[in-house]
Amino acid sequence: MSDADPAIGASPPRLEAGDKATGRAQYADDIQVPGMLHAAILTSPHAHARIVGYRTDAARAMAGVKAIVTGADLTGPRSGGIVKDETMLARGKVRYVGEPVAAVAATDATIANAALAAIEVDYVPLTPVLGIDEALAPGAPLLHEEYAAYAKGIEGTGHDNVVWEAAIAEGDVEHAFAQCDVVVEGTFHTQAQHHAYLETNGCVADVDAAGKITLHVTCQSVHHVQQRVAEELGEPMSRIRAIATRVGGGFGGKHATNIHSIAAWLARAARRPVKLVLSRMQDFEIQRSRHPARIWIKTGARRDGTILARDVRIVIDGGAYADESPPVLTFALLMARGPYRIPHVRARGQAVYTNKLRAGSFRGFGNPQASFAGESQLDDLATQLGMDPVALRLANAMVPGDLAFGGQPVPSCVARECLVRVRDAQRDAAPLPPRSGRRRGVGYASVSHVSGLMGTAATVQLRSDGSVALLTGCVDIGQGSDTVMVQICADGLSLPMGRVSYARQDSDASPYNWKTAGSRSTYMTGRAVAVATIEMREKMFAHAAELMECAAVDLELRPGGVVGLRGVPDLAVTFKEIALRSLFKAGGPLAATHGFVFDGPGFDPKRASLRQLAFANLGVYTFGAHCVEVDVDDATGEVEVRRAWCAHDVGRAINPVSCEGQIQGGFVQGMGYALTEAMQWNEQGWLVTATFADYKIPGVLDSPPEIHPIILEDPDPTHPVGAKGIGEPSLVGAAPAIANAIRHATGARVRALPMTPERVLAAIDTLR
Amino acid sequence: MKLHSVLTINDEAREVLAPGAASLLDVLRDSLALTGTKRGCNHGVCGACTVLLDGRVARSCLTLAADVGARAVTTIEGVAGVDAYSRVQRALIDAGAIQCGFCTPGFVLAITDLLTRNPHPGSEAIREALSGQLCRCSGYIKIVQAVEHLAGGTHE
Amino acid sequence: MQYIAPHSLDEAYRALEASDARCLAGGQSLMAMMNLGLVAPSRLVSLRNITSLRGIEVSADGGLRIGAMTTHAELAALEVAAAGPALLAAAARVVAYPAVRQWGTIGGSIAHADPSADYPVALVAVEAIVEIGSAAGVRQVPAREFFCGFFETVLREREIVTAIHVPPGPKHGGAVYQKLSLVAGDFAIVAVAAIAGPRVSLAVGGYGPIPLLVSGIATTDDALLSAGHALANATVPPGDHRASSAYRRRVLPELMRRAGRAAADQRPG
Repeated sequence: MSDADPAIGASPPRLEAGDKATGRAQYADDIQVPGMLHAAILTSPHAHARIVGYRTDAARAMAGVKAIVTGADLTGPRSGGIVKDETMLARGKVRYVGEPVAAVAATDATIANAALAAIEVDYVPLTPVLGIDEALAPGAPLLHEEYAAYAKGIEGTGHDNVVWEAAIAEGDVEHAFAQCDVVVEGTFHTQAQHHAYLETNGCVADVDAAGKITLHVTCQSVHHVQQRVAEELGEPMSRIRAIATRVGGGFGGKHATNIHSIAAWLARAARRPVKLVLSRMQDFEIQRSRHPARIWIKTGARRDGTILARDVRIVIDGGAYADESPPVLTFALLMARGPYRIPHVRARGQAVYTNKLRAGSFRGFGNPQASFAGESQLDDLATQLGMDPVALRLANAMVPGDLAFGGQPVPSCVARECLVRVRDAQRDAAPLPPRSGRRRGVGYASVSHVSGLMGTAATVQLRSDGSVALLTGCVDIGQGSDTVMVQICADGLSLPMGRVSYARQDSDASPYNWKTAGSRSTYMTGRAVAVATIEMREKMFAHAAELMECAAVDLELRPGGVVGLRGVPDLAVTFKEIALRSLFKAGGPLAATHGFVFDGPGFDPKRASLRQLAFANLGVYTFGAHCVEVDVDDATGEVEVRRAWCAHDVGRAINPVSCEGQIQGGFVQGMGYALTEAMQWNEQGWLVTATFADYKIPGVLDSPPEIHPIILEDPDPTHPVGAKGIGEPSLVGAAPAIANAIRHATGARVRALPMTPERVLAAIDTLR
Repeated sequence: MKLHSVLTINDEAREVLAPGAASLLDVLRDSLALTGTKRGCNHGVCGACTVLLDGRVARSCLTLAADVGARAVTTIEGVAGVDAYSRVQRALIDAGAIQCGFCTPGFVLAITDLLTRNPHPGSEAIREALSGQLCRCSGYIKIVQAVEHLAGGTHE
Repeated sequence: MQYIAPHSLDEAYRALEASDARCLAGGQSLMAMMNLGLVAPSRLVSLRNITSLRGIEVSADGGLRIGAMTTHAELAALEVAAAGPALLAAAARVVAYPAVRQWGTIGGSIAHADPSADYPVALVAVEAIVEIGSAAGVRQVPAREFFCGFFETVLREREIVTAIHVPPGPKHGGAVYQKLSLVAGDFAIVAVAAIAGPRVSLAVGGYGPIPLLVSGIATTDDALLSAGHALANATVPPGDHRASSAYRRRVLPELMRRAGRAAADQRPG
């Protein structure tokens, strides 16, 4: 790529790829600070118990132990998301096996662990509830007896073990079902999936002489970590600083969490830096999972294939703390209609407390659950109608200008095109014979998702040699946002990428960004960068106009950091000249900032009945479709995905190779969700799948050698570059497409994830 | 009780004082500040800790440091020699095969081992050789494509 | 923790006299257990320098004496005609992952006795003999009697597996090792090792710590399925988070049919 090539649409290597390839990249556990202590966390052996006492004297007396904290030391208000039900360590009660109860900082890990073993905690065990039905049963033990007294960002309708209830409805489903010729109904179950990022959660908390804490943290938002730690330590945010390290994968599992506060607390108490990095087992046991869900769904259509009605009830299992259960539930309900123009839809749901680790944000955020059910049922409906599943989808697909479920206008929609592209790609591909003795199936899924939400900002500054410094709060969790932001800025100024510096995210210095989540970075922060870049250009033009004694409207950018007079090749000034003028003569240092909160239209309460939704508006709708070929061994139930085609509208592919990588990676993570991954607990609430030996994510031999990303670009009108998002949708389509392919191969409908050989064989056996 | 040993790491003799039960991974990261080798699971499944031992792939988390003896250890820091990147590193960078990067050092070493033994592996051999390296970000496609390119085999 | 690396078996036996001393072979199983905090030996006796534990001797009849420190990779690379050794090589090829095969050893693996491991099934099918050494001398134990529980063998304190004797198997025989697992490289849900001459012997893994063995089965579909049904009906395999007991019984007949037929097809001529 030469200096003159526009950066947008090219696929320059990632800025940090060289560091990652050589081992130079610094992740949280790579950071060493002089005098650093090692932290260890004591966790609860009970799924549900009252804490009645601690004895820490023996541990405190051990040589090398520098700080100890237990729930008894915590007196501040509860923290958390919309429902503030959490404390940094368990206080008064433990609610899941693995819940942090105490923590120690010591001069080395051996001493820290020995100190943990010397801490005694007295528990009075309580009866746990480990599943949705147990938790909802009348008279069930309550996890949060004081739920009503908790501070809440939005008043909810939680009660007993129900964290949240919500509903969205349009039209009149009961009446509409009566008009349908064919109605299908079914209940689907999905499991707890773990993010299984290769790098576990952790941080190094440093402390200065005045007691200000700086966390070097693998995370998805430095601003969130700063906020949560400040809250849990009772400090102003000006005394808590979070700096992002390189992040070894996030997927929603590296949002602000109590372990950051624990490390900071210990550092503050010991007045020394503290490293707290979770082992793989502890990360499985302590952090977060995806919400297991039970989805009852009913869809009805006329004989000609027009879908008239859909009714959905979703119950998600939120684990011991509310975390992001309210928004995940809300999003699952929102996605329950799917990318179809169904006029009568009702979606109701509950999020439930159970005595397991909390469920929270994970790539897809409720949509994988909703889409597994909805897209599986659509194929069943097609069968009942005697229609081809693609034809049924095409006949009902949303088109540009339609309204989404809940009333948000969707000006850009390529749902049909995505489906046609994958259908045609599979048909046109060279035939791949099934493995000997296996049955081949082809399955489809249509996906809609949303990119956007919340707030972000970007700042562009001009340096004295005409280089540009770009600052955002958007943490790159491996998906390539660093490179994309620089591409947008460089493109906007016709600069080579090497002339744009990009600082890593630091809550003291970076403009605010909500977090890297929700497929929002390219749309939200990218939009802020694009607008700030345009503003910088305007400011530079103002200086150039003075320098060249002409009107700003007659100026143009030229590649390589030059501003010239249109039509006069010889008349130009360099960025450097502009910079020097601003620094030494007139105007002052040049900087441009743009910040905004997602400002698109949200739900329309005149169209839809909305009850207790956890957010008011969301983002930009995106669409996609998957087609997969699978081979099924109908004697063992083993399923092999042979090839996949994944079409996704990204609005504008700023870095096409990165888009492809996200699509392929999302598909395989979705395939793991579909076929092999499940967190499982025993009857005492212990996680029995707490290592990679037992929790199986796909390796290269389990993944199809062909995953064909098909990138569509239907530019979003609200984004200067037209971009939308891509992080999540490719995961969402995998499980239903695979389920539909299994059905196509065998006639068997599997309604529970993961579709292990045992489940698939059991479904096939019901047909025998 | 700490053991004193001299390990050959990237062609250099390095003195180490470490607990007897320390793994090679512990020693590399904690005693020698060679943090390019990663700790992903510490129980031998993910492959992020991969190094070369006498030129062959080994999981450093499953290798007792005291048992290494005179065998030569190559870590990610030693792969490129005097160049900025080895051809394996270059190929991964250029193919867009690196996302979060945490698995990358392990893959670099596994690919280096493969191509040393078999300069022109086919797709099956490539996938087999990489079967012990987990990646959560990429779906493996671009990694395999990078190796196919190096192998002079199929590529787009 | 102490570390000793003797150069002879006699030195090794003496080193094992310390309490809570364990042998370190390839480390691929032991180190994982240590890292997870499941074991913490006070002394590790490395077998790496004991040359008498290495090497594969082929006898005149085609059988093998496999030194205990032979790696899975070395076994996997064997090109042998005799069915018994061929079965062992087939099992070695699917143990775990390349790095584990490079350094893990057969002696270390069978002494560890993971009930879902591959070698026990193959060794039972070929009727291998495990050679065990100690300061008191050498004893031989048939593979079928060597494994006695979850991670439990008949090894006594201060004993070391020194070699594995693999008979050649039936003349002009064929053998296969097949495993059903959730993902590649994982422990088996069910594994079947089949060795075929005029008739087939099949060993089954995933049915508890001791592989099951049926012999003398005709190589027809009916006979194999029948043997599979009989075995499934007579045993209760464990259920775990990978699969239930019912599933293991459900798939066994077909898996035995496939392995038996594949082994028969491997017979030369």
